[in-house]
Amino acid sequence: MPREAEPSLNERQFVLQALQDSIRLDGRELDQYRPLELTFGDQYGVADVTLGKTRVLAKASAELTVPYADRPLDGIFNIATELSPMTSPAFEVNRPTETEVLISRLLEKTVRRSGALDTESLCLVAGQKCWSIRVDVHVLSHDGNLIDAACFAVVAALRHFRKPDTSMEGGVLTVYTPAEREPVPLSWLHSPFCVTWSFFGEEGDIALLDATWMEEQVRSGSCTISLNKHGEICQIAKLGGVPVEAVSLLQCTNVALIKAKDMSSKLDKWLAEDAKRRDKGGLLAELSAENDRVPDI
Amino acid sequence: MCTSTVCNTKKQNLFNPPRRPHPPHLIPSSTSKPLRLGPGLRHLPPSDIIPTVAGQLITNPQKNSMWVEYNNNRYLPTPGDLILAQITRSGPDLYYCSLSPHTPLATLPHLSFESATKKTRPQLSPGSLVYARVVLANKHMDPEIECVSSSTGKSDGLGELKGGMVFDVSLQFARRLLMSKSREEGKVEVLELLGEEGLAFEIAVGRNGRVWVGGEDLKAVVVVGRALRGADEGGLGVEGQRKLVRGLVRGMK
Repeated sequence: MPREAEPSLNERQFVLQALQDSIRLDGRELDQYRPLELTFGDQYGVADVTLGKTRVLAKASAELTVPYADRPLDGIFNIATELSPMTSPAFEVNRPTETEVLISRLLEKTVRRSGALDTESLCLVAGQKCWSIRVDVHVLSHDGNLIDAACFAVVAALRHFRKPDTSMEGGVLTVYTPAEREPVPLSWLHSPFCVTWSFFGEEGDIALLDATWMEEQVRSGSCTISLNKHGEICQIAKLGGVPVEAVSLLQCTNVALIKAKDMSSKLDKWLAEDAKRRDKGGLLAELSAENDRVPDI
Repeated sequence: MCTSTVCNTKKQNLFNPPRRPHPPHLIPSSTSKPLRLGPGLRHLPPSDIIPTVAGQLITNPQKNSMWVEYNNNRYLPTPGDLILAQITRSGPDLYYCSLSPHTPLATLPHLSFESATKKTRPQLSPGSLVYARVVLANKHMDPEIECVSSSTGKSDGLGELKGGMVFDVSLQFARRLLMSKSREEGKVEVLELLGEEGLAFEIAVGRNGRVWVGGEDLKAVVVVGRALRGADEGGLGVEGQRKLVRGLVRGMK
C-alpha cells in the first residue's frame, strides 16, 4: 500500500519552532480559518466547499425504500464518505484508510446522532414506505482539516436539498415530479458544525485552528468539537494524542462557538443568495405546497 | 540529439498544437552544429519534428536547439539538474532519496560527498535534506544523484541542508528561478526584491519544484516562502511581484 510522503526533518523542526513564536507558514493567526467558499450546483443538494486548498463536494439524494423493521416510523439517513486516489495516491478505492473511517464516523456523530435531520418526517407509510436520504462526500483535494470542510459541505448540501413532494389520499401514495409540484426541503432542526483544534508541542500547549496538511502531519494531537450556533455541543472527539488541560479545552470550546456562529451566518447568507438566484420572477413561493412552519435553524 | 532538415531560421515563439509536424521555417538551422531537441519534442525520421505536449515553442539559434516550454506536474530527472532530495533510508553503501513523492527513489552513494571516505562519510538520518545533482537518469533505471563534482572533487555548495524550510513551487517556476538571467528571461524578481528590502536568507532551488529557504530569522523565511508561492500560484508579472513583496514585508514589521 502506498504511503503518504512524510515531511522532512527540517520542515518538521521549522514548523514547530515557528509555532512556538506563533508564526504560521501562511501568515494566519493561530485561531484563524482559511477563506471558506461554498458554491451550489445546478441541482438541489450539491455543495462544493473549498477551505484554502482543501476541496470537498457533498451531494444529497433521496429514494423511496422500506423502513428498517425495528424502526417502522423512521426514515433512513446515511452519510457515505469517499477519499479517492485523485486526492492522494495513498488512498485506494474499496480499502478505507483510517482517515476515511474517522471522517465518516465523526460526520455521522455530528449530523445524524445529534438529530439535525428529523428522520421521523421521512416516513411516509408506517412500516412500508419511507425516504432514504443519502449524502455522498467526495474529497477532491486534501490540504488539511478535512473534517471541518466535510461537515460544512454535508450540512450545506442537506439544507439546500429538496425532496419530491408527496401526498396520501385514500391509502394511495403519490410522488410528484418537480414539474407537477415544487420539491420540498427536508425537516431540518439545527445546523451543527465541526471545529477542529490541533495541538502542538509535547504538552499540547500550542493550539491552533484549521491546520493545513503540513501542520496536521507534525501535530501531536487534535480535538474536534461539534456544536451549533446556540452553543449546544453535539460531540467532542479527542482521539489519542497528547493530553490537554481541561481549562484550555474549555477555552477551545468558547472559541469554537464563535467560529460555529460565523459559519452558520455564512451558510445562511449563501443559502439565501442561492434561493434568490433560483427564484426568477418570484414564482417559487406560489408554487410551493410547503407549510410555513419553519423552525429557527 | 538528432539532426534534421534545415531551412531559413528566425527566433520565434508560438503556441503549437501537439501531434502536428512543425512548420519548417520555425526550426533553427546551423550547418556547424547538429540540431538539439529538448523536452516536449520528438523526431520522426526522416525529417519531421512533432511536439508531444502543448506549450510555448522556444528556439535558440546560437545553440541550434529547440524545446517546448510547458508546466508539467511530474518531475522527470535529467542529468545535470540540481535537485532537492529527501533521504528515505540508507542502504549498505548508498542512500535512497525521494525527489518527489510519487516517483521511484533515487540513489545517492555514501561516497559521493566532498572528501568522503568510508570512515568520514556524512551520517544522514531518514528525513534529512540534501542539495544534489542528477548524474544518471534514464527510463529503465533508478536515477542516481551526487553531492560532489566528480571532476573537481569539490562540493560546489551541494550537500546536506541544515535547518530552514522547504516550499513547494511549480516546476516551471523552479526552472525560471534557476535561469542565469532570471530577471530578464524568467521574469522573476522576487528574490532580488526581498534582498533589497533587507531580508537575510539563503536559498537552494531544486528543479524538482522544491525550494529550500534558510536563515536565522523565522519570520523572514516564512515571508520568502510566501512570496515565492504567491508569485508562482498567482502567475504574477514583475509589477505584481513587486507589490506582493512590498505587502508581505510591510505585514512582517
